[in-house]
Amino acid sequence: MEAMDTLPDVKPLAILEALLFVAEEPVPLERIEAVLEERSKAEIAGLITEFQERCRQEDRGLLLIEVAGGYRLVTKPELALSVQKFRGAKPSKLSKAALETLAIIAYRQPITKPEIEAIRGVTIDGVLKTLVERELIRILGRKPEVGRPILYGTSRDFLEYFGFNDLSELPTLKEIETLAPNAMKGEASDESVNEAGTPG
Amino acid sequence: MAYRVRLEMFEGPLDLLLYLIQVNEIDIYDIPIAKITEEYLGCLATMQELDLEVAGEFLVLAATLIQIKSRMLIPAGEPDGEEVPEEDPRRELVERLLEYRRFKEAALGFDELESRQQLHYARRGDPSLPVAEGPLQVTLSELLCAFAAIMRRTPQAAALEITPETITVSERMVMLIDRLTRGSPLPFTALFEGAGTRSLLISTFLALLELLRRGLVRARQSEPDGEITVYLAMEASHGGDGHPT
Repeated sequence: MEAMDTLPDVKPLAILEALLFVAEEPVPLERIEAVLEERSKAEIAGLITEFQERCRQEDRGLLLIEVAGGYRLVTKPELALSVQKFRGAKPSKLSKAALETLAIIAYRQPITKPEIEAIRGVTIDGVLKTLVERELIRILGRKPEVGRPILYGTSRDFLEYFGFNDLSELPTLKEIETLAPNAMKGEASDESVNEAGTPG
Repeated sequence: MAYRVRLEMFEGPLDLLLYLIQVNEIDIYDIPIAKITEEYLGCLATMQELDLEVAGEFLVLAATLIQIKSRMLIPAGEPDGEEVPEEDPRRELVERLLEYRRFKEAALGFDELESRQQLHYARRGDPSLPVAEGPLQVTLSELLCAFAAIMRRTPQAAALEITPETITVSERMVMLIDRLTRGSPLPFTALFEGAGTRSLLISTFLALLELLRRGLVRARQSEPDGEITVYLAMEASHGGDGHPT
């Protein structure tokens, strides 16, 4: 079956589509280049653009996005409900505690558990375990200090989960940091807070 | 207080404090400590009235607030009225609050990105495809889960039974290697067949962990939550090492 790729009538665009279809994770450009070895980089870039163009047609259900350092075929957002119906389950969302912890790790990595706890003001053993299990964070090593605490950082799955191509795409904390001193005024009703409270 | 708060709505003491600052329209750079301490303690008291345990971390911040409040009461400067600029006792707390708020807002951003990204579905591992791409390496927690499932199926030996036999982990390591040499890969559960007592199960599991640690065997999963397969390491090496890490 090896001879298949070398048949003259196999279109490179078709090969690209096949690769993207079987891939279970984002495909780095180099891996596409390794398969289409007789094509130049510029040609391959052109193929990817052409593929993306074709996806844009309304009667197509997929998109080719760049995420976590590779290319990934995903369904179009407007089809989410149909896919959900098909899969029978809504994707589960991370808890607020998990998101806060993840945000701290993302911006301050490598970081230890006590350092995260100091920022959040709570203990985070459970959350950290969940994040490691979901492979959104990973252990980067140990900090050379007393007790050699574990250093955590974000994983490639983290990038894919939030749709980042690499860590440089994280929105800058600075934007938030430079908020004017009174910027929080007038936002007295926090949406996460229910003023009604519990009866009795 | 015109509102009731429930502590479990908050991600911690700093979150509660930020809420109180917001809801009272307080300038975070000039917090009226007496007022905010009162409100904060009021929230904790409400919790206690409801007979709910207030987490220790909420009490730690309460102590910090009270300490700041008392420091603010000490008149600054010399007794003869000359005002000496001194560090604001609130400074450290304000810095912590600002730092926490920064990440709280970043988390809101992540929440949005998560929702947006969840509208895109990507292909998942397809168990019907051959695993030539290189199956996932198994994490310790997955191994533990699989082992816990086996332990649950094996009832605790009756208390009266006395089993004088001693099982050593190294014996079980030899047994595992033997089994895998006869046929590798084996499903994780197959390794525990014939191990009828919990102590036997545990020593077998410890032996497996030791073998994994030494790199003599490998454990893999072809799909998330799928069955775990255990290989002899030399067998596994031709399985899929083109796997990017």
